[in-house]
Amino acid sequence: MNARHIGIVAKKELLGLSAEKTIVFAILLQVFIAMFSSFLMVGLTAMYDPEALEGYSTATYGVGYAGADSALIDEFEKRDDLILHRMDLSPALAALRDRKIAAVVYVPDTPPDAEGPVAITLYLVQNDLQSSVINVKIKEVLQGYERELREVRADRMTAFPVGLNFPDAGDAESFYEFVYGLLIPLLVLLPAIVSAALIIDLITEEYQRQTLDTLLSTPITFTEMVAGKIAACFAIVPVQAGAWILLLELNGIAVANAVPILLHVSAAGLFLILLGAAIALHYRERTSAQFVFSTGLVVVFLLAMAIPYNPLNIVVRLAVGTAGPVHWLILLLVSGATALLAFAVAAYGRRVGKISPTAVR
Amino acid sequence: MSLASSIRTIAVWEMNRSMTTMGRGVLPLAAGLLVLLVLVTAFAAESGIHMQDGIYRIGIDDPDVARIVDADTRFTVETVSGPALWNNRFAYDIVVIRGEVYAADTGKGRAALTALKRDYEGYVSRIAAGEPDLFAGYPLWIDLEYVKSEIDFLATQSGQQVGAPANAREPPVPSGPVEAVTLPPSTVPVHEEDLRQHLAGMEKQNPLSRYTGIVSSGSATDGLRTPSELSPPLPYDALILVFVFIFPLYFTSQFFMMSVMNERVGRAGEALLAAPVRPAAIIVGKAIPYFAIMLLVSAAITFFIGAPLTILLPLIPVILFFLSSALIIGMAARSFKELSFVSIFFSTLATSYLFFPTVFANTHVVSLISPLTLVILELQGEGFTAAGYVYSTALFFATSAVLFYAGTINFREERLFSEKSLTSRLMDFVAGAISRDRPHFSLFLLAAFTIPFVFMAQMMLLVLFFNIPMPLSLVLLTVSAAFIEEVAKSVGLYAVAGERPGFLTPKNLLVGAAAIGFGFLAGEKLLLFATLSQITESIFGSVLFLSLQVLWMPLLLHIAGVLITGTFLLAGGKRAYVPGLVVASVVHSLYNLHFLLGGLV
Repeated sequence: MNARHIGIVAKKELLGLSAEKTIVFAILLQVFIAMFSSFLMVGLTAMYDPEALEGYSTATYGVGYAGADSALIDEFEKRDDLILHRMDLSPALAALRDRKIAAVVYVPDTPPDAEGPVAITLYLVQNDLQSSVINVKIKEVLQGYERELREVRADRMTAFPVGLNFPDAGDAESFYEFVYGLLIPLLVLLPAIVSAALIIDLITEEYQRQTLDTLLSTPITFTEMVAGKIAACFAIVPVQAGAWILLLELNGIAVANAVPILLHVSAAGLFLILLGAAIALHYRERTSAQFVFSTGLVVVFLLAMAIPYNPLNIVVRLAVGTAGPVHWLILLLVSGATALLAFAVAAYGRRVGKISPTAVR
Repeated sequence: MSLASSIRTIAVWEMNRSMTTMGRGVLPLAAGLLVLLVLVTAFAAESGIHMQDGIYRIGIDDPDVARIVDADTRFTVETVSGPALWNNRFAYDIVVIRGEVYAADTGKGRAALTALKRDYEGYVSRIAAGEPDLFAGYPLWIDLEYVKSEIDFLATQSGQQVGAPANAREPPVPSGPVEAVTLPPSTVPVHEEDLRQHLAGMEKQNPLSRYTGIVSSGSATDGLRTPSELSPPLPYDALILVFVFIFPLYFTSQFFMMSVMNERVGRAGEALLAAPVRPAAIIVGKAIPYFAIMLLVSAAITFFIGAPLTILLPLIPVILFFLSSALIIGMAARSFKELSFVSIFFSTLATSYLFFPTVFANTHVVSLISPLTLVILELQGEGFTAAGYVYSTALFFATSAVLFYAGTINFREERLFSEKSLTSRLMDFVAGAISRDRPHFSLFLLAAFTIPFVFMAQMMLLVLFFNIPMPLSLVLLTVSAAFIEEVAKSVGLYAVAGERPGFLTPKNLLVGAAAIGFGFLAGEKLLLFATLSQITESIFGSVLFLSLQVLWMPLLLHIAGVLITGTFLLAGGKRAYVPGLVVASVVHSLYNLHFLLGGLV
């Protein structure tokens, strides 16, 4: 194999990518995903973490209270963002329908220490963003009341939980896990998947457009051609993943250990690209190759995620800074597997090149 | 040959051909992969998803407390004696010393605290569920009832305080008539054993079982829940729906896309074009097998999850939309890699259009712009009305019809086998729709036909922007909506100017601009009144569809916009197109903002 020949093929493919502006689509695609993730963030923050949005934190909501007196009233008194109005149930529901109050609770006259449960009815407006906000607030109130009732009925209990005292942290952080545990591994591995799909297109296209003869009439050999294409696809993986990490940093999401993350992504990316190349060499036809590859990809990803210390998990751990030196071992394992696959693909490529380089199946 | 019989011939031929190219090598391997997939899924279900393992470091001085987080793989637990732990506390996200929890004052620390709180709640609930006296452990049960309120969209506009921020200490007085309601019973109408089983079921729950819970509704507890089970509707349902329903559809449409592309590789489709069948018959014939497969797959999934077959109704326009765009992409892509990227990009767009509104399925009316919301509503047993169906599917039907039409008239040799770039090829497609004899009438129709796409893009922006704080969201929406409209209006002129250089004279520009302005207005009015009345009533509606109040003003605006872009094209050629667009959009936005502010003040 001649490194210069490989370089020529790789350069040709990279130029083709930029000439057809396909790379623009790839970047647009990723920006789009980022845009929608931020949409998700804002939208979901509004739902789960109402305090996080300025507009909601200052709002106070009226809550209609109907039925018998109970300790629940005291629980409501503790909150300054909920104002309780004692009302009858019928006018309260009418006011709720008019949106003059945000929720209605109906409490029956069951005594706290009764044999049966206290069954409260909670009325909310259907199909409404506000209901989600109110839901979160009232849930806390009701949990407080539940604790109270448990204390009243404590003599009927047989086992007691270990007590833990939580600090008043104020805002809960609901999106940390979403960002670091899902978004970041997804974004940095996206380029790897894109490149793997790309290698299939590059190889099958040579077959289906019957351009392979022309290519092989030059001094470039079949294996060099395949290696060059693989190199081109591989080269854009760390670049894109790095751009993602940079973008995240610009958005105020600090990603620790950027370099090790890129190493892991590159190793995993090369593995997927080799897999794609092998499938493409076997089928020489895009529909079949892409179909088999995407099904195989699902299997590989599902399998990887079910194993502790999988590369995705390692990326997550690295990004939050809790990986420890064990990740080097994983990197070694993945690189080893990739090297084995590379040898296999090289051998297969040589065989295909010798027997029937241009035959379409 | 009659149209029907030629369609049938093509459909049968397509079936045979795709089966033979795919058949030999792929089917055995695909079957093997499917078996592997089942095995791996079983393995994953057994071992769990290890994505977020070990992201938090927690130090605990008491093994009993450590047992609370044992099952939670997100925590790396270290059991250390109290004083040592305190000295080393900054190495951890959370330390627990003698029952006191200390969290690091970082985003990560707070996230860890939230996770620990949830685990602790679960642990307390487990203890309570084991009580022989269930109602000592779970003394409080909530019956959640939803009340319908009609002023949905208007009341919950972005960022505005929704509904009822109450300052007064006085109880509010309802304005409408008060209906007498019967008081709910004070006892729980469900048997104690059922409640206990319900709690036991909660134990094993994961996001997936939540979903199957929706499908096999009618649990014995009748909607009763404990306070900790009270949670706002989660978006995961929609996410899983996307994978369950949309992914197979997208996948099948890829085969159709590839089949169209294959006709063009090495001019393979020349024989087909030479056959005495109309292009419409070829396209419909080729599409039918895939349409049938997609419908069958959806029906099979529906049957499998035990849902009513009516959820296929909202899926039909989605299938048509996927197929029509697959046709256009397959006809336009220059190479395989272009095909891949464009189709991935398109599918991401389409999936987000389908998915993101459904996040708010039970929360906000904006969700209704996605047909998938109807699927969710149907699964929840609420069903949808005919008006709701029209509202969320009309755009999909309209855009697929236009795309199929564009594909049909361009399914010709000189279009299919040209080697031009993607954009100029798409421009050719547009130019192909403009007749040489009556170009102005064609421009009129073309402008009207772009309306569904404009609406779709604007709906997407609405979904994107409606939860950004108020003034910003309005400005963003105004500017981007204006830009989209200007692009849509000028695309016909741009295409025809590129294809027929002599066409763009000052006279033709004036007449063309008028034709486009009229066409745009006509299409807008037609589609709007049919479908989107819910949104037009809100302030966002007045941004997007401002043009409806007075007729001649928007008409002038539309014509002026085209004239601006057209003049730039005329004077500076193709390179001046983008600057022209920008100027036209600025004028358009200023007009909109002027009226909007006038209306608001």
